[in-house]
Amino acid sequence: MIHIKDLSKSYGRRRALDGLDLTLGIGVTGLLGPNGAGKTTLLRCLATTLAPSGGSIDAYGLNPANPVQRTVLRRRLGYLPQDPGFYPHFTAFDLVDYVAILKEMTDRERRHIEVRRVLAEVGLTEQARVRTGRLSGGMRQRLALAQALLGEPDLLILDEPTVGLDPEQRMSFRALVSRLGESRTVVLSTHQTEDVAALCERVVVMRAGRAVFDGTPGELAGVATGQVWLSDEAPTASRVFWRTADGRYRTLGQRPPTGDATAPGVEDGYLVLLGEEVAA
Amino acid sequence: MSWHIPDDLRGRYLAGTLETAAALSVDAHLASCARCRAAVPYEQDWLEGSWARLETALIRPRPSPAARLLRYAGLPDHVARLVSATPTMSRAWVVAVVAALAFAVLAARQEADLLPAFLTLAPVLPLTGIALGYGPHVDPAHELTAATPLAGPRLLLTRAVAVLAVATALAAIASPLLPAPPGLSAAWLLPALAAASGCLALSTRLPVPIAALAVGGLWLAIVGAGRLTGGWLAAFGPVAQIGYGAAALLLMFRLYRMSFR
Repeated sequence: MIHIKDLSKSYGRRRALDGLDLTLGIGVTGLLGPNGAGKTTLLRCLATTLAPSGGSIDAYGLNPANPVQRTVLRRRLGYLPQDPGFYPHFTAFDLVDYVAILKEMTDRERRHIEVRRVLAEVGLTEQARVRTGRLSGGMRQRLALAQALLGEPDLLILDEPTVGLDPEQRMSFRALVSRLGESRTVVLSTHQTEDVAALCERVVVMRAGRAVFDGTPGELAGVATGQVWLSDEAPTASRVFWRTADGRYRTLGQRPPTGDATAPGVEDGYLVLLGEEVAA
Repeated sequence: MSWHIPDDLRGRYLAGTLETAAALSVDAHLASCARCRAAVPYEQDWLEGSWARLETALIRPRPSPAARLLRYAGLPDHVARLVSATPTMSRAWVVAVVAALAFAVLAARQEADLLPAFLTLAPVLPLTGIALGYGPHVDPAHELTAATPLAGPRLLLTRAVAVLAVATALAAIASPLLPAPPGLSAAWLLPALAAASGCLALSTRLPVPIAALAVGGLWLAIVGAGRLTGGWLAAFGPVAQIGYGAAALLLMFRLYRMSFR
């Protein structure tokens, strides 16, 4: 289990995390929130690449603030950063092999078997000998995911992992992550509410460095119960509405004059929740 | 396909008693006939092992010339890759090598006034290498690798040792060319070791370039204070050398305790 208590992080006067409390267990937890909500800062603190300003993290009984325990914790985690950089002259195999060395895999034959395994997991076997500078954006994202999978970590931290993936790749990614989530802790941040609905059993909505919602995707969708409407005419009172593919208007908030109630989705709940937060 | 390999022919093929021409004919038929292929038994483990060996041979990183050289010198494969793999590391190597060679060339010209500058600046060479070779500003994959167990002091220590070894070897070649006793010419080695250890120890609390600057500044302050109190050689005397050696030992012990458990 991972216990996060009163975690805070400031960049100058700006507080990216503001007394966050969270407990993470086995399964897939999705972090949702607008830009600047503190998702990446939280994930970087969890990944031990950023020291918090206050509060504490206890991951499997290890304290990342302690250099020795931090090293032990790093042996148990895989991390996909938001902006993974690459050495353009490295091949895909070179890069993952290099990270595997940094993960203390010193036996060359075993290491190469593991590198091939993770490349196959993300569907990059055929690109193993292609230089990273020649890979497409989606392939680079999958390559970054491959290195995070090295050593089958107990804690998998994924910062916007589906950016740049096409629909087919996203389906493969969801299948992979949901399988991993059966036996380990997976935390991912995303702007894609459909990813959360499809593969997360738990969702945490963050805003201004705090968790403003913690529950299942169904419970998040439930926040918008009685506030989602379909109408033939554009509403005049609501600011949040859009025209759907079938030509009707989907409205969040007050019922339009000719509106029919419809079942809310995760995105509706998220928008209503953030709207309430702004109003408050 | 109307013809299939008879049982007795297949038996002799599997036993390896067929003549070459007949065996090649069976091979050719097997390549085009799934039914006959299915009748040929094989060991799953052997087949998977063969594919794994084939993949190992075909799909593997091609070591850089520097990595190959280090492997020939006896370094384990993974260490050779660590100290030579990244562009930032290459830059650190180049800085150390160029600086040491520059000293050697100048020293060969018998510039008598060069000794104080040499002794003062030589310990800072490894620091420069360390500072240039690590961090988010110089390493594009820093964030990708920062959450690995080897990141931080252990990686820095490994690379610092590599840079220090090159700088030491080249500067040691330059030392006898200097117009000074051999002992004095080598007086920079212990300060270099202490400075590199200090930088690595500080890097657990400060960004590496700042740690390198802080230790470099401290070293220059020590040399300056020595010059004010007892002449420019004061910072390189026997008592000072014992101090540098002790400091290096303590700092390396602390690094070991912090990073290698």
